[in-house]
Amino acid sequence: MPDESEKHVEKESQGNIILVTEGPLIPKPWSKRLISAWSISLCGAIFTLMFLCWMWPEPYLDVLTFLPDGILVTFEVTALAICCAVPMGLITGLGRISRNSFINLTASTYVEIIRGIPLLVQIFYIYYALSKFLQVSSLTSAVVAISFCYGAYMGEVFRAGIMAIPRGQTEAARSLGFNRFQTMFYVILPQAWRTILPPVGNECIAMLKDTSLVSVMAMPDLMQRGRSFAAKTYLYFETYTIVALVYLIITLLLSKCVAIMESRLNYYDRRK
Amino acid sequence: MTEESKSIAEPREDKPIIEISHVWKFFGPLAALQDVSVNVQPKERVVIIGPSGSGKSTLLRSINRLESIDKGSISILGQDISHCREHELNRLRRNVGMVFQQFNLFPHKTVLQNLTMAPRTLLGMSKVDAEARALQLLQKVGISDKATVYPSMLSGGQQQRVAIARALAMQPTIMLFDEPTSALDPEMVGEVLDVMVSLAEEGMTMCCVTHEMGFAKMVADRIIFMDHGQILEQGPPERMFSSPRHPRLKQFLEQIL
Repeated sequence: MPDESEKHVEKESQGNIILVTEGPLIPKPWSKRLISAWSISLCGAIFTLMFLCWMWPEPYLDVLTFLPDGILVTFEVTALAICCAVPMGLITGLGRISRNSFINLTASTYVEIIRGIPLLVQIFYIYYALSKFLQVSSLTSAVVAISFCYGAYMGEVFRAGIMAIPRGQTEAARSLGFNRFQTMFYVILPQAWRTILPPVGNECIAMLKDTSLVSVMAMPDLMQRGRSFAAKTYLYFETYTIVALVYLIITLLLSKCVAIMESRLNYYDRRK
Repeated sequence: MTEESKSIAEPREDKPIIEISHVWKFFGPLAALQDVSVNVQPKERVVIIGPSGSGKSTLLRSINRLESIDKGSISILGQDISHCREHELNRLRRNVGMVFQQFNLFPHKTVLQNLTMAPRTLLGMSKVDAEARALQLLQKVGISDKATVYPSMLSGGQQQRVAIARALAMQPTIMLFDEPTSALDPEMVGEVLDVMVSLAEEGMTMCCVTHEMGFAKMVADRIIFMDHGQILEQGPPERMFSSPRHPRLKQFLEQIL
């Protein structure tokens, strides 16, 4: 018995030595503590939701059953906006580092303008103001407004991610005979993606939250469903409590997905 | 020769393979290269030495236009590289392998993929052919057992040998080495130099910037001494090391030997 415990201590101390030499103490995925901010929030939210629905099914469960259609619309808008915003961000980011001054200036101006106008104003502008010239559906204008807005922010993320790759990588690729395009797509972007993904993931989560703004166009998203329920029943407190909890749970689950993807992308840096 | 690009690039014995004439390069007000002229013959092995900041790396990097030049002209394989179009430049660069001080392997690719990427994309080689050649090259540099690992798992010396193999995978006519052993731990310098020596023995045209004087003595046909962006003296290694003429070279050799 004492022998075994000694061994255990030795193992542990070895582990400690490794951690010291490897720098910051990053917990291994399997040894992550159960009590983390993330799990507290998620369990708390789910528990509160279930508790409320179980204790007072009268208003709370009614709200909850009224919302799912809205959740689908929220997801639809978010998914479409991500599909448009990520390519836009990539193009903007590439434009911002372009040596062609016209492209560079165009991309930079786009970023400056979009970043200076609130998203809510952009949504109003595309849906209401532009209706003077052309009629667009609320879904189209929602997706256009959100992806234009987030494309600009993501452009900066892409630019920073690309710039973070050491210059030697470009030089090595060019010296082998790769052209600029091939260098970017075979060598730089696959590496930059690792730095780009976490902030892009965060932008996507922020985007999901910001889709609540499209309720101003009377789009039946999660927020709008809540609003119409509250307007009918005057149960503002109950309704928005449930809406907030549902948003929270979705966002927390998404952020976990981003974290998992992030760790998957680190495959080539693992040392033996 | 499986690829067409080689046919334009067959070196001829009588003509210099690299012609550098009256090249100037400025970094702001600093003249990194001042009226530099050198010719390199096919199969010649040139070693460039000099104190840091003397412009030797700049000169080497301007040979494949990683560094653009401000005046003068550089031709490789009879083609002007300093004023040619982008796609011609890319084509010419395939014939010029380059090895960097910091290895610059692609960290997101395995060793084998590092070697096959360029031949497959640029020369249109099949995966089977490219991998067969890559394994052959890895054997040559002595790390065929590491084909499937990522560069981060290799030692510096191994990484640099992979980098040499990667450059060779494009079957270049000229190899440029930019201080290939300067970033290595001392005990790993030997293994990289061994690869370079065997490459030299095979008759590869080589230009090498290095601080390894032993290597220079053993391999070089000609040593070029640079300082302040100028070539101060050049000649065969025996004469350069035993009876240097330029006082600056004498001083430099005294300091390092």
